[in-house]
Amino acid sequence: MGKVSISLIVNGRSCQIDVEPRWTLLETVREELRLTGTKEGCGTGDCGACSMIVDGKLITSCCMLAPQADGSDVTTIEGLLSNGDLHPVQRAFIETGGVQCGFCTPGMILATKALLDRTPKPTLDDVREGLAGNLCRCTGYTKIYEAVRAASNRES
Amino acid sequence: MAQETKTHDSVGKSEYTAVGKPTVRIEGIAKVTGQTKYADDLTFPHMLHAKILGSAHAHARIKSVDTSAARQHPGVEAVIAAADLPDYKMNPSNRRGVIFAVDEVLFEGQPIAAVLASDPHVAEEALALIEVEYELLTAVIDPITAMEDGSPLVRSAISDVDRSEEKGHVTIDVEQDEAEGAPSNIASKINFSRGDIDAGFAEADCVVEHTWRSAMVHQSYIEPHATVADFDNSGELSVWTSTQAPFYVRDELRQTLGIPENKIRVTATEVGGGFGGKIFLTELITAALAISVKRPVKYIMSRKEDMLAATPAPFAQVELKTGMKADGTLVALKAKLIYDSGAFPGAPVMPGCLFVGGYYTCPNLQIEGYEILTNKVSVGALRAPGAHNATHAIESHMDIMAHELGLDPLEVRMKNAVEEGDPLPSGQPYPRIGLKDCLQAISESDVWKGRRDAAGQANRGVGLAIGGWIGGLQPASAIVGLNSDGTIDVTVGSADISGTNTSFQQIAAEVLNLPLSSVNVTTGDTKTAPYAGMSAGSKTTYTVGKAVKLAAEDAKRQMLDIAAQRFEASPEELSVADGKVRLDGDDEKILTFERLGKMTTNFGARFAPVVGRGTMSTRKSAPGFSAQAAEVEIDPDTGAITVLGYAIVQDAGFAINPLSVEGQMQGGASQGLGIALSEEMEFDEEGRLLNANLLDYRLPTTRDLPPIEAIIVEVPSEDGPYGARMIGEPSIVPGGATIANAVADAIGVRVTEIPITPERVLRALGKL
Repeated sequence: MGKVSISLIVNGRSCQIDVEPRWTLLETVREELRLTGTKEGCGTGDCGACSMIVDGKLITSCCMLAPQADGSDVTTIEGLLSNGDLHPVQRAFIETGGVQCGFCTPGMILATKALLDRTPKPTLDDVREGLAGNLCRCTGYTKIYEAVRAASNRES
Repeated sequence: MAQETKTHDSVGKSEYTAVGKPTVRIEGIAKVTGQTKYADDLTFPHMLHAKILGSAHAHARIKSVDTSAARQHPGVEAVIAAADLPDYKMNPSNRRGVIFAVDEVLFEGQPIAAVLASDPHVAEEALALIEVEYELLTAVIDPITAMEDGSPLVRSAISDVDRSEEKGHVTIDVEQDEAEGAPSNIASKINFSRGDIDAGFAEADCVVEHTWRSAMVHQSYIEPHATVADFDNSGELSVWTSTQAPFYVRDELRQTLGIPENKIRVTATEVGGGFGGKIFLTELITAALAISVKRPVKYIMSRKEDMLAATPAPFAQVELKTGMKADGTLVALKAKLIYDSGAFPGAPVMPGCLFVGGYYTCPNLQIEGYEILTNKVSVGALRAPGAHNATHAIESHMDIMAHELGLDPLEVRMKNAVEEGDPLPSGQPYPRIGLKDCLQAISESDVWKGRRDAAGQANRGVGLAIGGWIGGLQPASAIVGLNSDGTIDVTVGSADISGTNTSFQQIAAEVLNLPLSSVNVTTGDTKTAPYAGMSAGSKTTYTVGKAVKLAAEDAKRQMLDIAAQRFEASPEELSVADGKVRLDGDDEKILTFERLGKMTTNFGARFAPVVGRGTMSTRKSAPGFSAQAAEVEIDPDTGAITVLGYAIVQDAGFAINPLSVEGQMQGGASQGLGIALSEEMEFDEEGRLLNANLLDYRLPTTRDLPPIEAIIVEVPSEDGPYGARMIGEPSIVPGGATIANAVADAIGVRVTEIPITPERVLRALGKL
């Protein structure tokens, strides 16, 4: 299949990639850029494991074709470290026990970041609404709620 | 309450320095930064991607498979079906002994052929070019009619059933009778009886009889099954796979492929959720493909394939009749359990039979269980396999009987609950257990204490239920080594699916009196790691943790021996703290672990390396119990159920890492809530799955789940490290009954089937 060239800014770095039009943003980032922190759980946008932040918005990257992202600014889980330091959301997930198997974690952390960017002091209802697109099978969400609260207190 | 029991207020305040303290995951940073490598993150030079063609029908004869067009598709490297494989030692009676369907397909999605290509899209395209000619056969879907005489058969007769995997989840000396006589769809039967059942019912003041159903549900780990395999020219097979059971995978591959175990290297990559469903599935097919093409092969199941063709948990029907005296004494219990096994044997009806009559002392029992074959995907383990189905029935009955007799449901349970020495239906006596302690603690939860407030409000209700699990047993071993810089490496062979490596870090740090940061833990592959059983049956901390403790004690003894020789003292005069060995009473005589490390590894060193070895085997299980309570609100117009509050109590024996234990409890409870409220694999009359995706198969989301209150009680086990007992599984067991009881409390009528969907609520209310 013929390829088209797209440009992306991924975690602050510009890149030019030749993609097949049918490739999703998820597989482009995972297979071409070899940034494998973003996970595929369903391929149909139902589980949220592939969440990325594209131009400031949380998206499910398994449902976005790579050419649709042409010219976009993309943040993946690999982009959250700053100077090697964990992002407050990452630290909060570790400390509260919000991480178990870890497969939903990159998406869940990006969803949390997107939520806190919008709503720095979310209520429990805000958190339950804001993370409803991200499935976690291990935690029962309780410790994730605690992680969001801890990160929100830390960021303020 | 047992004297040694600690209240939950004391949890985490132990006299120990490392164990018993909430401890963050040893692999936490790798996971939150996306650096953890799952199987799909691995790639190898020259690697091919496999895509599998699954059966379009639930039951059909395969008349022909034409792969010629697929082979011609540009970019396709190979197309492989049953006829293309060498003569492996298949076992058609067992799901684990079959690669591709031969002659007959038994469930929708059963693998028929594979396409290999370097580009997964190309492989996917070529699947559509494979021509399969089917002759449709009757799809037997309903297990209740399937067990009747004269039912069409699901498949040709089975023999030589291998129940080894089930024993990894629950180890108990019970024999199942394999079906005999004329061919039928009954794969096995089991019976337990005690006392005189008719006399029991005769003395009852209240007799209740109902039929309970629980749906087929899927483990729904967020990471689908994923395996990479490679076969080199020396005949060595390497497999990287998302499994809970690396040594079991090795053993199964050896059995079918005929490769000696020392030529198979299985690496358990990080498991993105298993819950019993990631034991052995994609490994055999991927390994066989890699052997066929002599190239690395990656096979990642799509979500749809995983829903169609993994190993979900069974539908069950439980016909239960119970009798109770006016004072709340349970006197008779008669049960018939029917578990839908799908197209291969392996349904956990035996644990269902144990638990339907295993929570309460009851002098008169009659329990029969049937494992029925149908043309659906065959079932496997899901966290305490088989227990939730049976618990839904008995725990609903306890509430119904208490209500009819005007008794308090919690007191009725307390009155009848089993204790140490009481027999299971199999006759085997319980060791020390904490069921009554769990009941006591749930009575103090916010949810249960708030039930009088709920009683005053229309359509609100509070319910409780209990559940337990016996657990599996397998031998285990561990190595604890001292490095030349004084740090410690722990090596184990168990996959870490629940935070167990963090617990091992705590255990080794405790024994060696070191900070956690000085201890690292690695799960090795099957060629380098000491043996461990599968991480299933709640046994990993209980068994491997004990081996780690023994190995750390062995390493400590070796260090003390070296220091004793050096100081010309006896080991008894030495103590270990802060990474140093000291001669008591002499501040000059100190050897750091770093010095000891160098003394045992340097050129010309006088002492041999410090390598602690721990091996263990036990026949003594440490059953865990959980009590749970829910407050719900029902919308009488839509039937929707809102969970307002949820509490879980569990006996952890000793919570080595209370943070992990709470996480296991809340996670298991949430899966129980999914079973209770929304999860159901729905099939049409031809046996096709109607909801093979995560939108229509409804897992609990954040919108569905309130924060879950977790209360740990600690009734020490007799044999576990520091008294720890089996943790992972009991938490999933009571959810269905807890919600059912809360719903009945709210609306005054019973829904006898889980999940309790809005539609079933409206039906129970007579509104549909």
